[in-house]
Amino acid sequence: MDISGRLEEFKSGMRPRIAEWRFMLRRLRKSKLAMAGIIIIVSFIVMGITAPLLAPPQHPDPFQIPQDNDMQRVDTHPTPPTTRHIFGTTENSYDLYYGCIWGSITAFRTGVLVVAISLIIGLLIGVAAAFYGGLLDEILMRFTDIIIAFPGLILAMALRLAFPTTLGIDVSMLIVIFSLLIAIVFVLLRPDRRLILTFLMIMIAGLLLVFYSPIVLNITLGDLDKVLIAITLVGWPGYARVIRGEVLRIKNEDYIEASRASGSSDIRTIFKHILPNGIYPLIIVATLDIGSIVLTAAAMSFLGLGAPDYFADWGQIISKSRDWVTSASAISRNFHAFFIPGLFITTFVVGWNLLGDALRDVLDPMLRRR
Amino acid sequence: MICEWLEMTNLAAYIVRRLVFLVFVLIGVTALIFAVTMLLPVTTRAYLYITNFNRVQTGVVDRIIEAYGLNDPFYLQYFRWLGEIVQGNLGVSVTAQSSVVEAIALRWPYTFEIVVFAAPLIIFVGIYLGVQSAIHKDGIIDHSSRIFSIIGWSLPSFWLGMLLLTVFFTGLRVPGMEPQSLSSNLQSWIADPANNFVRYTRVDLIDGLLNLHPDISLDALMHVIMPVIVIVTIDIALLIRVMRSSMLEALNKPYVTTARAKGLSKKMVIYKHARRNALIPVATLSGMLVAGLLGGLVITEQVFHFGGLGQLAANASLRLDIPTVLGYAMLTAIMFVIANLIVDILYAYIDPRIRLD
Repeated sequence: MDISGRLEEFKSGMRPRIAEWRFMLRRLRKSKLAMAGIIIIVSFIVMGITAPLLAPPQHPDPFQIPQDNDMQRVDTHPTPPTTRHIFGTTENSYDLYYGCIWGSITAFRTGVLVVAISLIIGLLIGVAAAFYGGLLDEILMRFTDIIIAFPGLILAMALRLAFPTTLGIDVSMLIVIFSLLIAIVFVLLRPDRRLILTFLMIMIAGLLLVFYSPIVLNITLGDLDKVLIAITLVGWPGYARVIRGEVLRIKNEDYIEASRASGSSDIRTIFKHILPNGIYPLIIVATLDIGSIVLTAAAMSFLGLGAPDYFADWGQIISKSRDWVTSASAISRNFHAFFIPGLFITTFVVGWNLLGDALRDVLDPMLRRR
Repeated sequence: MICEWLEMTNLAAYIVRRLVFLVFVLIGVTALIFAVTMLLPVTTRAYLYITNFNRVQTGVVDRIIEAYGLNDPFYLQYFRWLGEIVQGNLGVSVTAQSSVVEAIALRWPYTFEIVVFAAPLIIFVGIYLGVQSAIHKDGIIDHSSRIFSIIGWSLPSFWLGMLLLTVFFTGLRVPGMEPQSLSSNLQSWIADPANNFVRYTRVDLIDGLLNLHPDISLDALMHVIMPVIVIVTIDIALLIRVMRSSMLEALNKPYVTTARAKGLSKKMVIYKHARRNALIPVATLSGMLVAGLLGGLVITEQVFHFGGLGQLAANASLRLDIPTVLGYAMLTAIMFVIANLIVDILYAYIDPRIRLD
């Protein structure tokens, strides 16, 4: 078949899906709350992109909040807004406006990165557990149960503190472990198929072990990276559970049976038939999660485990004025110093939650078309 | 008769199975935390055993590593710790300057004080608002409760706490709203043995009443208001949303139409038929919620210096006080499993069609 023919076939195959997306977009556009959420998110994106114009960096590291050295002396306490500092300053004369503007980039990086990585981990584990079932399902799900049974914030704190600043990763050992894992999974799941691949994996692992020489990759982790990794490691089980439930539901549908009967491989069944139908709840959860992850990161900053001092991070700026909250003399001077960055966090999270809430109405097959 | 007996053994077997599962969860949770602490260099872990830094001599660190076997492989150290646990020894909490068991027993009442007010408020108000927004779908109640819950869910708890503190304590100077669990003068009054204040339950609120000192209970009540506002504002959102969607689903079921068709009043159908069925997912959520709350309110307690379990856990993990974090981890895991168990048994009670197996 020539290319244009195949393209036609693809188009006709995709038509129902495109119609579906059109329908959803229309529903989304009709919902006022969804539009409000999208407008909020887009304005934060614009704020992040234009940050160098809105607040020109004064340090080589643009995320470092500039300190006002031109004043006669550095104020140890927060000061109220002036023309010079339109949001005022937080303790030690650091500019609040700058921190709030550049904080939007930090928030996006935190939320989107953590959600993306936990989504991938959760997807892999959830699909593997549900699709293959049996012992693999039991092991993976008990593992996720354990992480879920643990209070997330405390585990994230412990992880954040326990991570070494330089992480020495032995690449050759990693390859050995990885190939052995793949081999084990293949043997467990499909002893009849992929024999050559299994054999190859074992060969690679064996050869590397025989001629073992460590290739150590030293990765330096910043404070913020540690926070992101900690939250990711705590966050993925939620996704794994959601996707597992979806796959279990879809797995026994007739069209999956049909696709397997016509000889499509596991990978093809998963990616072409199961995921496109089971991904919607995950999209909703992920959208709602971006907000709550930003909140978790802010809470860790509040406890003193977040970004380094005077890094443009909303949670960190709020924690700076924590000690001034109970001092009566500073009430008028301090109020803005936590109120304004708090408004930024709340608005950001509200934006994602509005969108996620509207997406639930649009995407949930049980609720829509009503 | 036989049937009932069979059902009882069924329930007993179910509970036993869940408790066996609990043991595995506990082993998993503690092994996980143990593994996390193994990421630390051995000298850092040795320093955790030093309580008095003024008297550290050279070579002490090496001796600690030797004495506690900190260079042993992970599983050896973990099994040693498990052995201690089986003998009922959870270790010493550096954070609380006491044994872990004692620290948890002393801090638990403060968390309980918050939860005992927050949990019923969240559950009953949440169910009420959820049902109302489902009945009046797209009405004023629906929209306002939706916006309220989205905003409440989006608030950083520490920010809300700081806001309340600024307004009520720093600004308005409302008496009894200091960021602590009980006014300082009352705390020292209680601690004074001359006053014969008997600690029946260690919960200030209850002990005050039992000792016929309502002023103490009132003071404790005042201090609990702000933390409860923070918790309820943030946690009620999810309950409202789940109750609303579950109720909407129930209202669309054929049995509701049947009930209406046979002439039952609208009220009867909503509250007797639909709501009862819609409560099932909310029961799960409420169980998890209460278990989570009882496990400590890390941030809220920190903002209000409330001194409950959450603050203990936060301070312990900030200092990497491993025995305390492990003890806390076991406590929360136990509570989650028990909450799950109670919810499952409640299910069978709410809905006779559900069988435990």
